[in-house]
Amino acid sequence: MKRSRTAALLIMGVTPLALTSCSRETQTEGLYTSVESCIAQTNDSYNCQQAFDQARRQAETDAPRYASREACVAEHGADTCQPRSDASGHSYFMPLMTGFLIGQLMRGGQTVDLNGAPAFQDRAGNWQRPAAPSSGGVYRPGSLGTTAMAPIAAQPDRAPTVSRGGFGSRSAGSGG
Amino acid sequence: MRRVAIPPRANWRERAEQSGFRFHTIDGEPYWDESAYYAFTLHQIEHDLEAPTEDLHAMALDLVGAIVASEERMRRLDIPEPFWDWIARSWQARDAHVVGRMDLAYDGHAPAKLYEFNYDTPTSLFEAAFFQWQWLDDQQRDGRLPVAADQFNSIYESLVEALAMIAPQLPRPIRFAALRDAVEDQGTSDYLRDCALQAGIECAALAIEDVGLSADGRYTDLDDAVIGTLFKLYPLEDLFREPFGRHLPDSGLRLVEPPWKAVLSNKGILPLLWEAHEGHPNLLPAYFDDGADPLPAGWVRKPLHSREGANVRIALPDGERIETAGPYTGPAIRQAFHPLPQFDGRHALIGSWVVGDRACGIGIREDASPITRDSARFVPHAILEAGTATLLA
Repeated sequence: MKRSRTAALLIMGVTPLALTSCSRETQTEGLYTSVESCIAQTNDSYNCQQAFDQARRQAETDAPRYASREACVAEHGADTCQPRSDASGHSYFMPLMTGFLIGQLMRGGQTVDLNGAPAFQDRAGNWQRPAAPSSGGVYRPGSLGTTAMAPIAAQPDRAPTVSRGGFGSRSAGSGG
Repeated sequence: MRRVAIPPRANWRERAEQSGFRFHTIDGEPYWDESAYYAFTLHQIEHDLEAPTEDLHAMALDLVGAIVASEERMRRLDIPEPFWDWIARSWQARDAHVVGRMDLAYDGHAPAKLYEFNYDTPTSLFEAAFFQWQWLDDQQRDGRLPVAADQFNSIYESLVEALAMIAPQLPRPIRFAALRDAVEDQGTSDYLRDCALQAGIECAALAIEDVGLSADGRYTDLDDAVIGTLFKLYPLEDLFREPFGRHLPDSGLRLVEPPWKAVLSNKGILPLLWEAHEGHPNLLPAYFDDGADPLPAGWVRKPLHSREGANVRIALPDGERIETAGPYTGPAIRQAFHPLPQFDGRHALIGSWVVGDRACGIGIREDASPITRDSARFVPHAILEAGTATLLA
């Protein structure tokens, strides 16, 4: 046979076709600093917003908590530490969520599971996330409770943009 | 090779809609045309198209090393000097390449002749790889084509495989970029990204106009993230000459298609191929154009960087002249005139796809004019044994 056994699309169109030849799973994870930048990079406004909302809810429960502003600032820097209080009136400090992760589990070319998770930054700007209980995160001295933080491996390589629009001056299409 | 009329699928517009094929009609004119198809024999496909495509591809790649090492040749190809070392390094490192298309004139009998390579920003990829495949599948289900019918089209499988192979060498996510408002380019770029996602590669998309530059000369996305790998459906020669271009060699950016493709997406490769393989059955005589007017009868003049059949001038053997408009100026090549075959009064051009280094499929474009332009219609094809098409059509 001179043709592909199947032809499938994943993101194009509104009705992804079932893949018949691919059953493997892939896990991807992306780190974004805003819903807007997520949409700009993925063209997927629904999942960006879902993941962001999920991350925000999770941040309220899973963000590291500190007994004092000083302890929080020592870990996360002065700009992000916010006072909070729990249901029984105890006050504490926690860092703002400055990014969110989208974890996607794909099987047979289709998204079967999608998770949003909050991301925080330490003083040096390194990204970290609340660690799963079993994963053995970094213990935070001075923190309340048991939230351990784990570094985020795939950190976005970042550089402040000083100009845009230096490519793309061609007015017509580029194809040939 | 025959042109055979066939009823279009009743639901083909819905099929196009479902698959995100938005440019099937351009400026009110059909671009996708399934009121007919081209029928080939397996021998024609394998012997006359597939094998020559692989030969021509290998012959072209064989020349790259000598070209990038020669200042005289790089100048001849009008590649700006600041990029010579960078291009040579990308060849020495064999930076990964993914996809290219070569255009062939073939009438079903005589050897296919190479018109040109589209090795940097080839379009009509989605139509060839996906929509044409689906057309055959649907027509077989509807009983209008025999189940034994086939198609020279493993482009999709080849793309997913090639992308999966090269991904480990590339910083990820791979960002796919094309001009924001070029619907056809965006569709092609989306299709490539779709295939990359199916290969399990992290991807993102942005408009080429949105690429940013940091103070230290690296390229950024809208989120100020540094772009490690840019799969751009945008001409290398334009990147070179635009304001951000001078940072390319030191930015650390990995480009797909890679910088060395600037040598092959350039029509100057045609005279260099002829010089190296004069008389090859699949090549047309070609020379660098000295600019002398008038163009002698029996020759075609093409600017080095012309695309979509723009700024092509033909002096037919009988002396008549045909010329297309366009934005391209600068140095040109001259190629021996070799007419496209006509089927039912339409000039048919074969786009033969190479993914990685494998010839893996074709797409056919028909134009009313002897020069195939961006308005040429895409007509699907099938492989049939002789006789079956007329019985069933």
